[in-house]
Amino acid sequence: MEATLTAKITGFVATIRENGFAVGINESEDALRIAETIGIMARTPLRDAWRGLLCGRADEWHRFDDLFDSYWRPPNRQKLVESRTSGGGALRRDDSAPAGGKAGPALQHGADDTGAAGDSTAKAGASGAETLETADFRTLTDPEQTRAIDIIIRRFARRLQRLKTRREIAATAGHRLHLRRTLRRGVGGGAHRLHFIAPRRTRPRLVLLLDVSRSMSLYSFFLLRIARALSMALSDTHVFLYHTHLTHVSDALADPDPWRAQERLAMLSAGWAGGTRIGECLAEFNRKHAARLVHKRTAIVIASDGYDTGEPGLLGRELHSLAGRARRVVWLNPLKAAPGYAPAARGMAEALPHIDVFAPAHDLASLDAAFSALMAAL
Amino acid sequence: MESSAAISALQASLLNSGYVAARGLAVTMLMMESIGRPLLIEGDPGVGKTEVAKALARVKNTRLIRLQCYEGLDTYNALYEWNYQRQLLAIKRAESGAAIGDDEVFSEKYLLKRPLLEALTQATAPVLLIDEIDRADAAFEAFLLELLSDYQVSIPELGTVTATTIPFVVLTSNGTRDLSDALRRRCLYHFLDYPSFEKELAILQTRLPQLQARLAGQIVEFAQSLRRYDLKKKPGIAETLDWAASLLGLGISTLDEAGPEQIQDSLATLLKTREDVLSIDHATINRLVAAAG
Repeated sequence: MEATLTAKITGFVATIRENGFAVGINESEDALRIAETIGIMARTPLRDAWRGLLCGRADEWHRFDDLFDSYWRPPNRQKLVESRTSGGGALRRDDSAPAGGKAGPALQHGADDTGAAGDSTAKAGASGAETLETADFRTLTDPEQTRAIDIIIRRFARRLQRLKTRREIAATAGHRLHLRRTLRRGVGGGAHRLHFIAPRRTRPRLVLLLDVSRSMSLYSFFLLRIARALSMALSDTHVFLYHTHLTHVSDALADPDPWRAQERLAMLSAGWAGGTRIGECLAEFNRKHAARLVHKRTAIVIASDGYDTGEPGLLGRELHSLAGRARRVVWLNPLKAAPGYAPAARGMAEALPHIDVFAPAHDLASLDAAFSALMAAL
Repeated sequence: MESSAAISALQASLLNSGYVAARGLAVTMLMMESIGRPLLIEGDPGVGKTEVAKALARVKNTRLIRLQCYEGLDTYNALYEWNYQRQLLAIKRAESGAAIGDDEVFSEKYLLKRPLLEALTQATAPVLLIDEIDRADAAFEAFLLELLSDYQVSIPELGTVTATTIPFVVLTSNGTRDLSDALRRRCLYHFLDYPSFEKELAILQTRLPQLQARLAGQIVEFAQSLRRYDLKKKPGIAETLDWAASLLGLGISTLDEAGPEQIQDSLATLLKTREDVLSIDHATINRLVAAAG
């Protein structure tokens, strides 16, 4: 094939890669081979073929046509393309997207700011308003404060009972014979020693949903420190922050470099200490993440005081469907420790029927107790 | 190789075998052969992912070997297993005189082939359908990745088995678990969406040729607008086909004649959760039927 054309096609694959597609050298070569067999003049079949080759997931699939057109079509023709999923348009070079794996998850701006945005009077308990305040994360990795937490979490991780799964493993005792091993070991040796099959045990997955709204501001950093310690100790831990919207912070939080973790969190934390819409955030979690993250070995840990300004009933409905997917739902409420506390907040009352463990979490001692309760429930 | 003629020819033979394929899917199926990669199909339940593999097997006139994935699937159930009962009998026989050695008990005679090994040892290349790969765990996915790049497996007792023919591999996923990037990169990818009106109508007419044109149009329009409702479980193509068949069974000729009661009774084939059934009442049905014309 002509050298300039080869360069142009390689350039296209590079553009695709820059836009966050997982494509490598092999895909480059295959793209060239396909172009040779189909012929570069047959635009539509070529686009179909490359789409199949270069895309790996649904969102890439839906973005591909735009990228293809903006690379191959002269700029004045780009708007004339027929029947596409997301309409015509120029190449979106999304600098905040995780291209190259440097930045964390894309920033979530207040695009879903529909409900109580006009209600800017910040009540003491909870409000639906968002803030653009960015929290100061410097104390997050302060060694003095984290040490005590680390000790508790490490103990928790060690004590965390491994759950039985349906995958199986050889054992020296049990009810079912491991015929393969028994026979294999028996051949040549003469004497048959019995080997057994037992269910394999794995650690459960933890999904943490931490409320960082204003009413929780006293506890937010404490909880975040716990989350950081947990995700360092247990690999299968996923952390989300929510206030008026939901943010996935696992990657940023588990960054081994404490300074980088702070920077990434600061970037993600727009809206910190604002109002609370627990129901909507749970709905967003259910829609976007639950299918991928929550299975029958997942423990959901929600930390919140239950002050919700969202639509009544939504929190209960969404928590019900989440509880159906997960193994256990644990609700940590810092207010529960207060003498004479009753779950009077509407959100809390709605949530209670769907919770397996309801525990206070205002200091380390209560946290230790809460994790013991979680382990008993798992 | 993938000329327009070849693409149209494949589309036509897919149609002959009862599968309505978009051009993009036909191109991808041709590429499976020419660049030798597996095909990963994603999409909501009921959009016809599994059907792609079945249609491919019919078109290629070859065997379809299916591996249904589930949590806890391991290599013993996916690849091979020894027939221990026969092995034990052989050893018992050997004890009473007949001499057998190690290699005889672990020979092909005592090997039970599971789908993956079965697919590697066919005389003509079969279609290997690995259904709902997202239900198996990450460890199995990693194992599969190795198999799909080398097309050979090693059986410790027997040696390495290399594929006699490279099977056409189709993987499907519902997205209950995110698949690894490595597997996605290894595969060609196709996202199956809910079909357009024209495509769904074509599917309905291919599968149920005895359906009246007017009723078929109404059914598809009804199903299409039902998908725009906020339902827990949107009806897929399979559900539309079931519903059409049940309407045929009830002897209904058009939806507006049938009336909301009869339609609601038959909706059991279309709506699969209690909330959805309750949310579609008579008034909604009347509105949908009126819109369907």
